[in-house]
Amino acid sequence: MSNITHGGHVAIVGVGQTHHARRRTDVSQAGLVREAVDRALADANLSMEDIDSIVVASGPVLFAAVNQPEKWVVNAIGAQNKPVVRVTSGGGAGFAGALAGYYQVAGGFAERTLVVAYDKLSEGQLQYSISTLYDPFWGREFAVGIMGFSAAYWRARMDALGHTEEAAAMVAVKNRMNAIANPYAHMKKEVTVEEVLASKPLCWPIKLLDVPPISDGAAAIVLASEKVAAKSTTRPAWIQGIAYCCEADNAPERSLMLSEPLAIAARHVYRAAGITNPRRQFDVVEVQEPYSCFELNYYESLGLCPPGQAADLIASGATQLDGDIPVNPSGGCMGANPIGAVGIIRLIEAATQVMGRSESHQIKDAKLALVQSGGGWANLRGCAVLSA
Amino acid sequence: MLAAPDTQAIDLPTFHSVIDLPYTLTPGRATGTFLAEIGNRKIVGSHFASGKIIAPAEDFSPDDGEDVQTFVEVPHTGVLEGYTKVNNDVIGLIQLDGCDNEFAHIILADFETLAVGTRVEAVWADGVENSILAIKGFRPAPETPIGKVLPLGKPANPIEVIPYAMKLDYEHAYGPYYGRMFDEIREFGRIMGVRTSNGDDALLPPRERDDITHKRTGTWKACEDTGTIRGCSIINLEFIGQTRPPPYVYAEIVLDGASTRLIHMIDAESIQWAKDNVRPGSRVRAIWTKGERTGSLRDIERFELIDG
Amino acid sequence: MGLSRVAIVASAQTELRTAWCDAQHIDLISAVVSSVFKGTGLTLDDVDFVIDSGSDVLDGRSISNCGFLGALGAHHKEEARVEEDGLWAAQYGVNKIRSGASSVGLIVAYSKPSESNVEAYWASQCEPFYQRPVGFGQRAANGIQAQRYLADHGTRQRDLADLVARRWADAAANGNVEIDALPDADAVLASGGGSAPLTGLMLARPVDGAVAVLLATEPIARRTSRAPVIVTGMGSAMNGHAFATRSKRGLVACEAAAAMALRNAGWDNAKPDIAEVSASSIVGEMMVIEALGLAPRGHGLDAASDGNISINRSGGALPADPIMATGLVRLAQAANQMGATANSVGGRLNRGLVHGAGGVAMQNNCVFTLEV
Repeated sequence: MSNITHGGHVAIVGVGQTHHARRRTDVSQAGLVREAVDRALADANLSMEDIDSIVVASGPVLFAAVNQPEKWVVNAIGAQNKPVVRVTSGGGAGFAGALAGYYQVAGGFAERTLVVAYDKLSEGQLQYSISTLYDPFWGREFAVGIMGFSAAYWRARMDALGHTEEAAAMVAVKNRMNAIANPYAHMKKEVTVEEVLASKPLCWPIKLLDVPPISDGAAAIVLASEKVAAKSTTRPAWIQGIAYCCEADNAPERSLMLSEPLAIAARHVYRAAGITNPRRQFDVVEVQEPYSCFELNYYESLGLCPPGQAADLIASGATQLDGDIPVNPSGGCMGANPIGAVGIIRLIEAATQVMGRSESHQIKDAKLALVQSGGGWANLRGCAVLSA
Repeated sequence: MLAAPDTQAIDLPTFHSVIDLPYTLTPGRATGTFLAEIGNRKIVGSHFASGKIIAPAEDFSPDDGEDVQTFVEVPHTGVLEGYTKVNNDVIGLIQLDGCDNEFAHIILADFETLAVGTRVEAVWADGVENSILAIKGFRPAPETPIGKVLPLGKPANPIEVIPYAMKLDYEHAYGPYYGRMFDEIREFGRIMGVRTSNGDDALLPPRERDDITHKRTGTWKACEDTGTIRGCSIINLEFIGQTRPPPYVYAEIVLDGASTRLIHMIDAESIQWAKDNVRPGSRVRAIWTKGERTGSLRDIERFELIDG
Repeated sequence: MGLSRVAIVASAQTELRTAWCDAQHIDLISAVVSSVFKGTGLTLDDVDFVIDSGSDVLDGRSISNCGFLGALGAHHKEEARVEEDGLWAAQYGVNKIRSGASSVGLIVAYSKPSESNVEAYWASQCEPFYQRPVGFGQRAANGIQAQRYLADHGTRQRDLADLVARRWADAAANGNVEIDALPDADAVLASGGGSAPLTGLMLARPVDGAVAVLLATEPIARRTSRAPVIVTGMGSAMNGHAFATRSKRGLVACEAAAAMALRNAGWDNAKPDIAEVSASSIVGEMMVIEALGLAPRGHGLDAASDGNISINRSGGALPADPIMATGLVRLAQAANQMGATANSVGGRLNRGLVHGAGGVAMQNNCVFTLEV
């Protein structure tokens, strides 16, 4: 894998997201994209003319019936005759888009790149379209979206560590509570651990309240080079490191406990960003939890706690808003989950934290933020470090 | 290049797979207004601040993404600007009178009789609503006067949801590895994988290169149809495309002799029964479907628990 | 901080066939990934990242790269899926190496159009409210584009048919394309399944195949390859969505992509020695040649015939269009042609121009300049 990323040279200088909703019937996919783009450009004090290139990211095309949708939404973006490309990575699409945009700027292809990510999940049949992820010859008919295997891995983890469902329930409680103050979230539902544990099993041990909503939403960021960042903001959020790693699925030794690709990505990003003690150094963390149990796995894979101790970490209160390593002050996916856009939303939430203008819960004096995102069969995983 | 020593390409037919998905698409304000009015035989266009008029209506200008300012009603007549024949259909580009753009539609005329520059008029399909096909097509109409763009009084509320369906058919090639594997399943009820370069356990499903090392895989090996559960969860939700009613157990099983897991299912009387009896480490056996095997993973109907 | 110079070290391509009946996607991908290193002294271990191009709709599988990661050699590496023609994956790879973050990258593109309905693939790229219901798609767009071009410039169909026949002959000789029988101009004119005035063989023929390109920093490239080919410029641009609303005077986005690439390469008025360009139809190919500045408007056929610039010596996309991989095949072919003569005294091909496209009637365009 790569050695170092040239942190400090590319920054997020503008952000914008839609008010996510269970269902937007007033705008098409194109209209949703336009909203996020308008907001991000306004935030960056720029117009489309100032943008050199555009990256579009969204979930699998079968989610919403338009193949290669960047070719449709180009009109809504106003990007005619500019470089436009779409990347995709399942749930990690937004983050993958940011990564592609990062390299456009770092590689000198663009001074300013607009990355816009979206999904309009209300338009399709989510579980069925997710099942098309699987090999048609081998296993597709038995698959249950990504919920089936995620639940299976969580259960195996609990068995191996002697944990209960309570730790993940605490994650659900925390994130749902944090989402209430997030103006862009649409699922605002305060719950207790007991309510989570008693909620209907969907793919046990995953239960209804462990699961984020389905959402329509879009989010966009403007990435800028060192040279032009100051024209947009006095306090850019610098990308000190960013990486995305994968693991092949047909692996005998695939760890049920740790996310190896995330751990590998973290190792590279931490080296680039000078992180030796993530728990102490980061002021705030934003992660993408497709189900509550994943956040526990991330604590360990990101080195926020030793392996096997994620349950202790959440129980200690350290990852609460007032803890020493707040995780998902925005509410994470529990507040809004337009899957393909989530990676960008997490980057926006982390960027606004270090820029001192979080619209959710501003963590006091936040200077260094960690972002995690990913997709596929939990086998595409990445992270980034932002600082201001 | 693609065959290992004891694997020949097997002359199998292709594997048919279908992706058939229903959708509810939101057209957005401009298209939604167009679709709402088309049943009234009104063609709605977009008027932009720059003065441009685009029909059918769009929220964003096709040239530069400008926002639509107001909606207008455009004439049913225009000019044929280009056309072609695809199979038996004539498809052309029409510029309606007073509009600045062209758009595609069906031309109701013989290909040989047409010419670029011909005036055309809309032909309506009775009883069709909420679709651009409320216009059946355009036919040559040389004598029609040039129509005018009119303001659109109070447009109907935009249609918010259009039902849609996408059906995609595939004929997948088996390739030599899946070909042999499914052939063995069908002929002998035997599940075969390939050994890797560093072990006796088989990769299942088999392929030419190991996913992790990218090294060539080795010889074929028959796995047992018993195995151990590596992970499992209890399915209690319903969704389109599901093949049996919940509850049942989703299981990732490593067959004896294999190293990788396959996905399958185990019947469950109840969620509680499944929680108590099915867990990582449980031993299971394949229950083959009754009747003739077809050569697919579905020849195993399900797995069931065994002791030891 | 200076940007690294990026070179094409090596490439590998399967034979392009109307149908690879005895291979899956992963077989084609594995084949090129294992072949591309031969003779370079590099191995998969040296690769920092993998970028792949493929289409969920063609593959019949969502996030299809997810199931192909092992075959791609991407395990525990940084991987990215560009759901666009492979030349954009190469563009991404060049940016990564230029930034200094990586030194060796593997770019892979593949497809098996034989496994699905290609017309449905193109139609699904048109928005579903106005264009799809009336049956508009790739064939209709190309037919209307050709009608317009022939009317504007008086180009003769027979001359176009002659060129198509030449492309097929070149593909059979140079392009590693499976061809049973070479069509002559009469066969081209008589072929069915077209969209008038284009006949079937005047449209790009979809084929199955895979291609891999190995990129590296210039110093590494000079260690491994006798003749590394340097990427000196890149540009891309996308037209507005509906074909009906695009400019009538030419491929505007292709012009913009070319201008960006040439500007970045500092070519000014320099002309390439060779060009490898993509196209959806023979008329489209003429329009690309003109948009790239290789011929004045309406004279693409002259440039394709006069031999001043060797255009599509591989046969180009007409005889063999491995949809999603075509532009990367062009890159590999151009690099091979330039590498073959790089160390000769006379006849050296110094500059190459490469073009890739995506979308109905080439809505999206990408251009590379290459130099030895």
